[in-house]
Amino acid sequence: MAVRTIEVRERVMARNDELAEQVRSRLAAHGVTAINLVSSPGAGKTTLLEKTLGTLGEELDIAVITGDVQTQNDADRLAVHTRRLVSAVVTGGACHLDALQVMTAIDAIELDQTRLLFIENVGNLVCPANWDLGEKEMIILFAVTEGEDKPLKYPKMFENARRVVMTKTDLLPHVPFDMDRAVANALSVNPKLEVFRVSALTGEGLSGWFDFLRDSARPVTTSG
Amino acid sequence: MGASLRAARAGGRVHEMSLAMEIARIAEEKLGDAAPQLVTVAVDVGDCAGVEPSSLEFCLEAVFATPPFAGARPHILRCSGDVLRVAYLEIDDGRPDD
Repeated sequence: MAVRTIEVRERVMARNDELAEQVRSRLAAHGVTAINLVSSPGAGKTTLLEKTLGTLGEELDIAVITGDVQTQNDADRLAVHTRRLVSAVVTGGACHLDALQVMTAIDAIELDQTRLLFIENVGNLVCPANWDLGEKEMIILFAVTEGEDKPLKYPKMFENARRVVMTKTDLLPHVPFDMDRAVANALSVNPKLEVFRVSALTGEGLSGWFDFLRDSARPVTTSG
Repeated sequence: MGASLRAARAGGRVHEMSLAMEIARIAEEKLGDAAPQLVTVAVDVGDCAGVEPSSLEFCLEAVFATPPFAGARPHILRCSGDVLRVAYLEIDDGRPDD
């Protein structure tokens, strides 16, 4: 038999990255800032978004895409706090969102009436790091109920993020979590990380988070 | 994209399986009608690619056992860095050796 070799040398992620760039261009054309929220399962992404929508939802014209392996429970929870459509992507087993899913989801969103778009990724600190969704930036949530060494165990995610939100700080008196060590670990992986410390339950620290979001969302452009 | 790939994509996926599906899409795009003649798919997997090589190999075996492919064998080429790419494809065109 004659076996012939075909050189390929094509990056596996090339198509996703190309689609992500299309998402990025489309969002930019409408002046939408997109934030990809990632964390372990249960770190508080949905709860932080509930509080964020409740306070800033209308002020910053926030739209949300949620990704879950099964159920649209998160989208249902968030829908209570906004009049906007919360677009749910059920990945059907996949452990992350990809750019094609986001491209499809934004079709259902009125981009002209949106300034800030949250993409709540599937809870997972491994795979989402590889999949560009066309966001402006990725933000990690890191709960005080986790181990301080999470940044060392999952460095790629922390390397790719610009900001980390330490969540559930109201639980600090009850858990053996060394905040300084956790933050030091995060900064050892990525010295440029900006750190927020929040409790969505009590509201502690949320004002700094909200101020950051106000700065991130572009002002509404007036026509004429 | 073949019907079987579409069906598999719509169903349950895990990380390595989704990568295997993407690799199959690339192979199908390169080979077209020659897809059934594929005998080897070689993939460069870097040690920082966030991919478990044995899991990816398992998923590739499953994906390349379904039409339009006919049982192509995966060949994982481990390397350094975060590279993850289809290195080369080998097809048996059925013609006798030169």
